[in-house]
Amino acid sequence: MMSSIDLCVLCAAVLACLMVGSLHLRLNLWLYGAETLCIALATLFTAQSHSESGLIYIALLIAGLKAAGIPLFLGWTSEKLNVHRDVGAVIAPPLAMHLTIILLAFSFILTRGLPAPSMAASGWYGATAGISLLFTGLVVMLTRRLAIGQILGFLVIENGIYVFALTQTLGMPMLVEMGVLLDMLVGVMVSGLLVFRIQKSFEHIDVAQLTSLKE
Amino acid sequence: MQFFVSLCTFPILGAALTAGSARIEKVRRTIIIISWLQVISVAVLCLPVLLGNVSILQFTPDFAVDRIGAYFLMLTNFVCACSLSHAPTFFRNESLFAGKTVPPQHERMFYASASLFLLAMNFVFLSDNLGLLWVSIEATTLFSAGLVYFSRDKHALEATWKYLMICSVGIAFALLGTILIFASSQHGAIQGGSLNVRQLLGCAKQLEPKLLELGYIFCLLGYGTKAGIFPLHTWLPDAHSEAPAPASAMLSGALLNCALFAIWRITELVRLTEHHAICESVPIFWGALTALAAGLFLVHQYGIKRLWAYSSIENVGIMLVAIGLGSPLLFFLQALNHSVAKVALFLLSGNIIQYYKTKDLSQIRGLLQVSPTCGILFAICAAAVTGMPPFGAFIAEWLILAKSADATQGIAVGILLVALAISFVAVSIHVARVLWGTPKSEIALSGTFAKYLIPSLLCLCTIVLGLSALPLIMVKPI
Amino acid sequence: MTDANIHLLKICSDWILFVLCIVLVPPLCLGLIRKTKARLQNRVGPPLFQPLLDLLKLCKKGETISSTMSGTFRLSTVVVLATMLVLAWMTPWLSFKPWSPNADLFLIVYLFALARVFTLLGALDSGSAFGAFGASREVTLGLLVEPALLLGLVALGLFSGSSDLRLIFAYSHFQYLGATAVPGIWLLVGISILLSSLVELSRMPVDDPTTHLELTMVHEAMILEASGRNLAFIEFAHALRMSILFGLAAQCFVHAAAAVWCMSALTEGLLSIGGICVIAISVGVLESLSVKLQWRKVPEFVAYVVSMSLLAAFVAAGTGVARL
Repeated sequence: MMSSIDLCVLCAAVLACLMVGSLHLRLNLWLYGAETLCIALATLFTAQSHSESGLIYIALLIAGLKAAGIPLFLGWTSEKLNVHRDVGAVIAPPLAMHLTIILLAFSFILTRGLPAPSMAASGWYGATAGISLLFTGLVVMLTRRLAIGQILGFLVIENGIYVFALTQTLGMPMLVEMGVLLDMLVGVMVSGLLVFRIQKSFEHIDVAQLTSLKE
Repeated sequence: MQFFVSLCTFPILGAALTAGSARIEKVRRTIIIISWLQVISVAVLCLPVLLGNVSILQFTPDFAVDRIGAYFLMLTNFVCACSLSHAPTFFRNESLFAGKTVPPQHERMFYASASLFLLAMNFVFLSDNLGLLWVSIEATTLFSAGLVYFSRDKHALEATWKYLMICSVGIAFALLGTILIFASSQHGAIQGGSLNVRQLLGCAKQLEPKLLELGYIFCLLGYGTKAGIFPLHTWLPDAHSEAPAPASAMLSGALLNCALFAIWRITELVRLTEHHAICESVPIFWGALTALAAGLFLVHQYGIKRLWAYSSIENVGIMLVAIGLGSPLLFFLQALNHSVAKVALFLLSGNIIQYYKTKDLSQIRGLLQVSPTCGILFAICAAAVTGMPPFGAFIAEWLILAKSADATQGIAVGILLVALAISFVAVSIHVARVLWGTPKSEIALSGTFAKYLIPSLLCLCTIVLGLSALPLIMVKPI
Repeated sequence: MTDANIHLLKICSDWILFVLCIVLVPPLCLGLIRKTKARLQNRVGPPLFQPLLDLLKLCKKGETISSTMSGTFRLSTVVVLATMLVLAWMTPWLSFKPWSPNADLFLIVYLFALARVFTLLGALDSGSAFGAFGASREVTLGLLVEPALLLGLVALGLFSGSSDLRLIFAYSHFQYLGATAVPGIWLLVGISILLSSLVELSRMPVDDPTTHLELTMVHEAMILEASGRNLAFIEFAHALRMSILFGLAAQCFVHAAAAVWCMSALTEGLLSIGGICVIAISVGVLESLSVKLQWRKVPEFVAYVVSMSLLAAFVAAGTGVARL
């Protein structure tokens, strides 16, 4: 029996899988925003079902800063850089998307081996979604050559880890959650600003060509 | 509470100062004073723990200083004070010698980033909560990015980007590991779970074993990326060689210790459970492997700072072995000797690069001819870092090898011996080439002895450390 | 009235209803799409059953046959029409159909493929270049999208434990679980069948059916040489194919709804027809609003469709595993 929390996080995992299949930056950012919103919704449902008021604030922060703020910021960056499509690398996006879905099934099998969480409500669907988001983030980082795509991959990994924490341990102590959120936001800001510099110095943001420093 | 205030005052003061409109000379002088005041204040505050009167100083439930934390705290602040004191001379000479004008606002940003960086590193050793430990380490990554990016050219940009991306992904895995440890504590050990290290250590036997093991592996992977273990070390040579010399010194001498300290905390925790085999075999073997890989990389190096970066990776491997062996003394001893010598080396390399105007090892020849002082100090510190007797690193490595042999880790001992031998030969050849031979072009020398002040102080420290640690070998090893 | 008589009456009424549907629904689909597009373009548009009148008009016209054609093109028309009628009889594209024999899902998919093969033969028989490359494009699209349809139906089969489409789409079958997975799988498969039908029928965003440029045609290029009664049959078969695919998708959506709310047979029947109409209208809207994809980008679009089916298949497998 799937609860609404499970449904939300699985929806987020599916949206992340769909993100792999397109190299269009705007679509990727939109899908990232939608998936983060699903995760914020899941946090709200968890807060409601376990009556932890702290999670409500975190849900609002996630919805506001991560779901809305980061796509807007990165979208503004890509507008300024006049970059609308990633170049892609290693494997073609459609194939990568199918691979990601297979990894989703694989993470379902993986998480059956984990011991059931003692406190959280969801069975292993939440852990599945978390691990699958982790894999998806890694695939995104591998198949994107432009810097903004790589930042997006990193953000999806962070989403996955957060979902895992939410469903297995009902989130971490408040202070830690705030710290993590803050770190991530500062990281994204710094990376975003660096992207501008990369554009100015290299006239492209193709990180596969950042190979002048070798062994 | 007052501990915090006093600990944080100086770095924050330093950061705030650079934002002011004081002239750059004033800023330089004040930074030196502030950094040494910070060392003194930390020493005073940690005195009870350092002397062994108190085993741990607990401030709030989530912040505490235990013995090894206090020692590392002292080491970190000392290293940063040395680097920050050398930095003004370095920047002054950049404009004089190397012909590169350093804009004042870049230098201010450097001091500001360095102060915040020091603050974050202090928090790593103070955190008694695994979650806050994670937050501090991520903070150190973010603040040190500003240091690596100092010269703002293409190479620095590439190095910073690689650094940020690889370390962030690695640290994300460490977060997963932390969450798994948190989950393992929720399974009946502690009501509601806890990330507090003291609580976890107290009920280590009741932690859920599978989750704990998984968490350990992920934390090792994650913090190991930050520490630069093979094969996750790819960011390290670039970052350490593109940063300016004082920043490289801080990164090598202090930041790697932070990451290893995080690994130490978690190893300490897993060691108390019944499944401690994993936290003995894995770090030891992986550390030996890292040292070997670094040794092999050291054979063909073309940049003087990359040389020392790979040497740092090798020492990280050795320290990882010490962590696996479970001996805080050996871990700290190796860290101490490595940090002191490495900082001196990086600062001297900075001077050398300023003289020769190139980082390329093949272009740097005849250092003893150009500047005998620099050459002698360089030789002494290089000998100290590669583990030549009678320096402290030799003693630490000897003890580590002895303890591994005692723990019947034969393969690791073998690999380590090979690694140490290869790296010693490689570094010696490179250093010999640098010291002797004839300089390729006319080198203009001038400047005061000020730029050798800190390196010579550190050299003295290495000699003293070596001689004072001698009794450790004479007595039965720990 | 004895039971046997009632039974006979039921069968007769079923068949009469079915024949009416076969005759009326395909033109209705086409007519709805055209009407929607016309309305969105601020025109009045042709009447709803204009396609039917067009077909009747075509039947009265004579044929022009190229001298290079053999008898294959007539054979292909007949086979395609026959296959489509058999498919209409077998596949559960309406909730109220007369009895049909075993409707194995693999058989259905291969019957579609059979129809495609004979369409290609008819196109190639005309000997013109346009027929040939319309055929090649049709084959490419079919190749890309067949996994989607197959996976979607297999997912449903996995979920219900049988490969017979009659059993899968039967309404009284699955009242258990009340789990979220049930409407989820139906929805996913419905979306997947709908999108893959757009690709198979070469409608937007893959190909503009109203284009006049032979270079961009897929379906129209294949039937360029057909005329008169031949053309009428081919067009009718195509429209029937469209109705069957839309009908399948509509059935999936109705099943998704039926898993949540209880429905009577009448409601289900009305919803089936209504579903087809709604799908036709939305396709019309989509055609008005969207832009034709570049041919090189079509595989990416198809990849999304296959992903839907893949997801449905995994969810079905997972529910099966979870049930264990």
